[in-house]
Amino acid sequence: MPIIIISSELAEPEKEIIAGTAASLGYQVLGPDVLKTIASVHNVPADTLTEALKKSPAGWRWKRSKRWSYYLACIESEVLERLKADHIVCWGLAAHLYVQGVSHALKIRMVSDRIKGIAAIATEKNMSQQRAEKWLADEDKRRQQWSMAAFGQDELSPSLYDMVLNLGQIDPDEAVQTITAAAGYRKFKPMTYSIKSLDDNALAAKVKTKLLVSLSDVSVQAMDGKVVVTSKALKRERQKKIAAIKDIAGTVEGVEYVEVHLINYVIREAAESYR
Amino acid sequence: MSKTLQILLLDDEPIVGKRLKPALTKIGCEVEVFQDPIAAVARIDQKEFDIVVTDIRMDEIDGMQVLERVHNQSPRTKVIMITGYAMIALAREAMERGAFDFIAKPFKPDDLRKVIAKAAQALGSPIDFERMGEKQ
Repeated sequence: MPIIIISSELAEPEKEIIAGTAASLGYQVLGPDVLKTIASVHNVPADTLTEALKKSPAGWRWKRSKRWSYYLACIESEVLERLKADHIVCWGLAAHLYVQGVSHALKIRMVSDRIKGIAAIATEKNMSQQRAEKWLADEDKRRQQWSMAAFGQDELSPSLYDMVLNLGQIDPDEAVQTITAAAGYRKFKPMTYSIKSLDDNALAAKVKTKLLVSLSDVSVQAMDGKVVVTSKALKRERQKKIAAIKDIAGTVEGVEYVEVHLINYVIREAAESYR
Repeated sequence: MSKTLQILLLDDEPIVGKRLKPALTKIGCEVEVFQDPIAAVARIDQKEFDIVVTDIRMDEIDGMQVLERVHNQSPRTKVIMITGYAMIALAREAMERGAFDFIAKPFKPDDLRKVIAKAAQALGSPIDFERMGEKQ
């Protein structure tokens, strides 16, 4: 059976649907509660992990800080590791943005009725319908910027998902039935290719997390224990940086071989040559 | 193992059959290797195999057509798809059409052995690796 990943434009997606789907399939629920455990594993404050999942770096005081990437990497690596156990309904951890190449991940987006949503915001925030509409549009833009900056994917694009459910039109129990039925489709069945993709993603995220403790601007790909790290360096730092990356990545369990690709910091080098 | 597993292995790259045949023979399977999909399909029409391992992208007949042909001939046969062009859409299509498993190239012979063992289990003819180990 597939892993089920639920993303929602609502801050608190219909928990009834999540719980109902998990109960109907006999699955465990993996949600934001796990952030406390992740925080203690990586010795970081739990609030910062919650914040990292919500706030866009562009509008944040952590802008340009490698800590933001580090916090997201901690979440990504721990969530992917847990998804390997299978039989999970995952929500609120941005997994839809980093489960790539995993064909047995059934990705679902829940959207609310727009008109009802605007009315609810207007009441909740005591604002006019027009201002509530603008507030909602700004919120969409902020989420879009966040997802692009964090994982290079547009969270609002329906093409990212296997299914989009309009909760303004579908009752929670109907949503549970729809998700449960889709989970039984053969096309979402786990297979060697997708299980391996999940393992590779988890290993890459683990290596990235370890590297981001001391480095920045790092991207990692993994395949069968072979890891390719791409980063930036000044020419004079190249050898030192390659050795450091190989040392750090080599300590991660499951890594058999590390290849490092360094791109020159052209602008920094040009700036230094004029000094 | 209750009986010898009959396997047809189809890949237009000769190196694939050359590498995989000994790995599967070692675990007690009887393997017929083909590079030409037309010849492979003709053989499928003649003989009921337990497992068919097929590449997807080939000239003349592709792996999806082979899968369909196998299932028309023998619905119990497990079909394992292998490809160097693995993508989510292709993997899902293969599973939807009834493939038993889907493996991205490159893979180690041991990866295929594990999938063959799973298929053998599903066919009710589990492979006794310990006994096979004694043979090796």
